[in-house]
Amino acid sequence: MLLRVESLVKEFGGLVANADISLEVEQGEIVGLIGPNGAGKTTLFNCIVGYYKPTSGNVSFVGEDITGWPAHRVAKMGIARTFQNLRIMPLLTVEENIMVGAFCRTGDRQIARRDAHEILELVNLTGEAHASPTELPIASQKRIELARALATKPRLLMLDELAAGLNPLETKEIIQTLHRIKEERNLTLFLTEHVMEFIMIISERVIVMAAGRKIAEGTPEKVAKEERVIEAYLGERYAEGR
Amino acid sequence: MGQLLRDIFSFGDRPLSERIVLLVFMAVVLTFPWLAESAYARAVMIKFLLIALFGLGWNLIGGYGGQVDLGQAKNVGFGAYATALMMFHWRTSFWLTVPVGIFFATLESFAVAYPMFRLRGHYFAIATLCVALVWKELFIFWDWTGGARGVEIPIKPTPNFTYMQFGSVGYHYFIFGLFMAQFLFMNWFRKSKLGYQLQAVRDNEDAAASLGINVTGTKVIAYCITAALGAVGGSFMTAYYLYIDPDLVMPLDLSILIAMTVMVGGAGSIWGPMIGAAALIPLDMYLGAWLAGGGHYGIDFMIYGFIIMIIAAYEPKGIWGMIERLTKRG
Repeated sequence: MLLRVESLVKEFGGLVANADISLEVEQGEIVGLIGPNGAGKTTLFNCIVGYYKPTSGNVSFVGEDITGWPAHRVAKMGIARTFQNLRIMPLLTVEENIMVGAFCRTGDRQIARRDAHEILELVNLTGEAHASPTELPIASQKRIELARALATKPRLLMLDELAAGLNPLETKEIIQTLHRIKEERNLTLFLTEHVMEFIMIISERVIVMAAGRKIAEGTPEKVAKEERVIEAYLGERYAEGR
Repeated sequence: MGQLLRDIFSFGDRPLSERIVLLVFMAVVLTFPWLAESAYARAVMIKFLLIALFGLGWNLIGGYGGQVDLGQAKNVGFGAYATALMMFHWRTSFWLTVPVGIFFATLESFAVAYPMFRLRGHYFAIATLCVALVWKELFIFWDWTGGARGVEIPIKPTPNFTYMQFGSVGYHYFIFGLFMAQFLFMNWFRKSKLGYQLQAVRDNEDAAASLGINVTGTKVIAYCITAALGAVGGSFMTAYYLYIDPDLVMPLDLSILIAMTVMVGGAGSIWGPMIGAAALIPLDMYLGAWLAGGGHYGIDFMIYGFIIMIIAAYEPKGIWGMIERLTKRG
């Protein structure tokens, strides 16, 4: 098992953001984590990669207990993540942003630069290598974040709402890119989204959260038909009235 | 090894125009003692190189690291006092006192860095300022360091390479050598893994951590390197002024001047400290002297303040930011 989360609880004061979440992600899978806004998806991500300390419960990665590890150690272990609200380094060029990711595995600038260029090609950003990232459109900035995460040579790539803010064409392009990098880099993908279209197409397995709890799990087709899921997305009345 | 040397000496990643300006700058400084005969002009040049050297070191934590440190004078003081006290008490050679100054500056910075980096932005700036002021007070009241009376080092016939005492030409090349050493170190640093990681921390701490960077650890290392670089300049001050006291080597004014030099010149750029020192030091030493000579005390400070307000309001990246913007447009 690549990633295992056991009975994870995260409370902020009195607010329970994650209540008793357990899940597993296997090597090579594409797992989607969906749920309405405020379901606790990003909180769960942050607990796994070390931005929050879980109130209770365990997170383990390739058999090692990484619960409560600081984010930089989790990254070194082989989990990379992107952010829902972009966190580009604005004063560095596109190439340098990605080189910083590559420095996670090497101290040599030439190797870091070579890695960065390979990855730029993989995400179709070669032409923008020396641009300032803040001058590029959102879709390109998302690709920079993806490339930067990829440069740390992760085994597990966690993408937080990668498709949010993209138009249908850009979404389609990023799905193609994701499939390509997954094949070439032998990756496992774990992604959140509240836009159903994106996640239903790409995921092999879907986990549904609502109000801090895990409410369903299974193939996209199966989950989409479940009463509880429809209720969570469209409201109780809608489910009753059908 | 070859790669390391290339990283230290190569400016190949900078445009040709910048490399030419650097060569011209070096040629002017190298021939300066023949260009300017007056003792005052040479003193201005030495002060310029000294403040530019302090700026180089501060640029690491303040420019590349984005942490506004207003306490660099304490590190200058450690270097200056290590040299002065060892020369005074034990007649030690200058070159043996430099590593001792570096050692104490680094040790002290390492000790205070962890609690201080729990603070951010303005609070961090205030903390650095307070720590530096505390050290200055301690040196004022400590008898072994000479207290407020300061320390006078033994004066030798010049040139003396043990105590590093020279005439104005000798001091000129002495400080230029130290300046070039730190300049080349910074040239290596800006291209190093640590340099990139520090800039990543400055730009976005969350993103940096997600890329495997220990954010606090990186800041602490940067803070310690800055301290070490500042101490070297402090040692020079002792050899140059032959007499030091806390008001000369540890004042708040010096901390602020160092930070301002880099901010005015362009924080986070290899050229920033030189540009800043070139803009501020001659202005201070010529304009200040001229105005004070006419009885108009304080006007130079007003002009100073005005320049800094203008730059802070319109060009946060300093004079270098302006140059970059103009050349990009043209």
